[in-house]
Amino acid sequence: MTVRNCGVMGMESAALMNVLNLVKTYGEVRAVDGVSFSVPRAEVFTLLGPNGAGKTTTLEILEGIRGADSGEIEVFGRKLRRVDRATKERMGVLLQEGNFEPYLKVREVLRLFASFFRSPRSPDEVLRQIALEEKATSLVKTLSGGQKQRLAIGVALINDPELVFLDEPTTGLDPQARRNIWSIVSGLTAAGKTIILTTHYMDEAEALSQTVAIMDHGRVIARGTPRELTSGLGQETIIEFFAGERAAGATDALAGSCRGVRNEGGLVSIETDDLVATLRRLLDWSREAGVPVADMVVRQPNLEDVFLSLTGRRLRE
Amino acid sequence: MTAIFAVARTYLVTACRERETLFWFLLFPLLLLTLLALIFGNIGESGAVTYDIAIVNFDSVPGAAAAEGVVAALGSLSMAEGENQPLFRLHTPAADSDPGAFLADELEALRIGERAAVIEIPQGLSASILAAAYGGITPALAVRVHKSGGRTNSDMAAAIVEDVVAQVDRALLVKLGLYDETRAVRVDRLDLGADAGTFSYVDFVVPAIVIMGFFVVGLFGVPGTILFGRERKILRVYWVTPLDVPRYFSGFALGHLVICAMQLISVWALGQFAFGAHVALFRPLPLLVLLIASMTFLAFGFLVASLARTANGGMALANIVNMPMMFLGGLFYPLGQLPPVVRAIMMANPLTYLADALRGVTGTAAPSFPLGVSLGVPAAWIVVCAAVASWRLTWDVER
Repeated sequence: MTVRNCGVMGMESAALMNVLNLVKTYGEVRAVDGVSFSVPRAEVFTLLGPNGAGKTTTLEILEGIRGADSGEIEVFGRKLRRVDRATKERMGVLLQEGNFEPYLKVREVLRLFASFFRSPRSPDEVLRQIALEEKATSLVKTLSGGQKQRLAIGVALINDPELVFLDEPTTGLDPQARRNIWSIVSGLTAAGKTIILTTHYMDEAEALSQTVAIMDHGRVIARGTPRELTSGLGQETIIEFFAGERAAGATDALAGSCRGVRNEGGLVSIETDDLVATLRRLLDWSREAGVPVADMVVRQPNLEDVFLSLTGRRLRE
Repeated sequence: MTAIFAVARTYLVTACRERETLFWFLLFPLLLLTLLALIFGNIGESGAVTYDIAIVNFDSVPGAAAAEGVVAALGSLSMAEGENQPLFRLHTPAADSDPGAFLADELEALRIGERAAVIEIPQGLSASILAAAYGGITPALAVRVHKSGGRTNSDMAAAIVEDVVAQVDRALLVKLGLYDETRAVRVDRLDLGADAGTFSYVDFVVPAIVIMGFFVVGLFGVPGTILFGRERKILRVYWVTPLDVPRYFSGFALGHLVICAMQLISVWALGQFAFGAHVALFRPLPLLVLLIASMTFLAFGFLVASLARTANGGMALANIVNMPMMFLGGLFYPLGQLPPVVRAIMMANPLTYLADALRGVTGTAAPSFPLGVSLGVPAAWIVVCAAVASWRLTWDVER
């Protein structure tokens, strides 16, 4: 597998942010365990990993909401132990867990946050960008989940930041709301903003990111473009189908004809370099065993498969 | 400064849009003032035939016939006759109590309308009367009737007392064969002061309601905003911006002060225009006391917020603190009327001093403490609360 070296300070001069050996411990738990990476300018850099991987803690240290036990941060060309006020003037942050006063109106929220910065944008301009003009005079408590998240993105953009942190921006949203958020993020990328994104949705990481760092147990275990990471798995194709209680029979029958086969609760997942031969063998087994494979999916490997191959677990486990 | 004003505005706007907060911050003090004014505002003013009279006899030596006669005559008027109510309900000092302290307390009660008159018989009155009778001169001493000028019941009670004293005097002199109208004992009517004629229970209670309102805003408003803001992860969104704690606190304190000012104006206006109160709150000294009061309770709120881990815990703690402080702060009754043990507890309560100071500087009651003490004790509380809060308070959810 092709995994780029995690960039460290001084190694990638074009980087907007460099993080070196960041450590954060809670009691005996090392939530962030020596994390290092570089974030290139004008890119979406994604930290991908399951819940509890240390993504949010890493981000909260970079956002200045909590301090690290050790490690160094270099951002906008300045080395910092902890993010200071001047740096915050140039950053926008969407927290994973953050709320607004429920009895404020949408425009009032933007005005409030605009007052915290030296050179804020017009709240109405931001309202247009996040497509919430119609809700400008609505109370926050009346907004839907997707609208609240768009408002939170608007707040993160009120100072026209060079660097935007988006921590799990689409978690808990319906597909349409997720698409709306993706559209805003794409617009930011087009405007040359640098974005640090965390997600546990591999499709989101693939759709939005130029660079992905996969985290697990507080460490970065792989880094590269989505294509680099998936191509590291070789020229494989994945075949998946649900066989229920007969899955064990399928794995036995197909084991010799592919690179790997897994049974995960009745879902059979086959990795193969020779799709035609493996399909033929699978259909033969299906006919002989009397197990229909009508819901069969044939696809290319994705970041979920990368994580699976690196850790033996799925992202959502 | 923009951020400070924006935070203050946010505090105000959210408080005014949230019904419960609006009720407790602005409407409750008005309701309480209305209730108290309607229930107690006409103490002694309703034309009731029984007057609450206090009598303090400093001339209680053996043989002081005039003093004994006055006390006995007034005492006879405090007995019910048949189905009729007694004319007077007499309040006299207990045998082992200090008559001077009793007099001071009763004058306070007269000031707030709980007594129609207070009669003070000076030491040596009887001897003075006899000396005057035998010497053919006017008595040097007089019975002193303290009344609250302008209150009908007080004037009537004073007139009755005057008549009683005259009858006692005449009976005494006739008995001695020395009656001479020109040398009859005088009764001096002593008003409580130039402004005292307009004071009533409402005047006494308006400063109390204002102080109570400030107390509620600080004690419940601060933990409510800080702890719920922390728990609902509203505050943490601020901390990823350039806004820092000092500016947030300044904005919050400014919002708190404005809410207190709104409360002050509304309570004053209701008292003034609906119940005829005359409390001079908008002068430099009363405003200084009110500023210190609002900052004291702001600090108290931060203290409570710093001691509680959760918002519900903070509200529970505020409730626990609220009751004893509210009712042992001399807000609704004079200090002198409480048992010594309770009075001692009240000495630690900043409300005691603030209410006393505000009444003192507005002239609605004689202060029990020097102004320096009344402002110094709350200032000490501010320092203590601020120290504990800055040490203990966490501004973000703990992980």
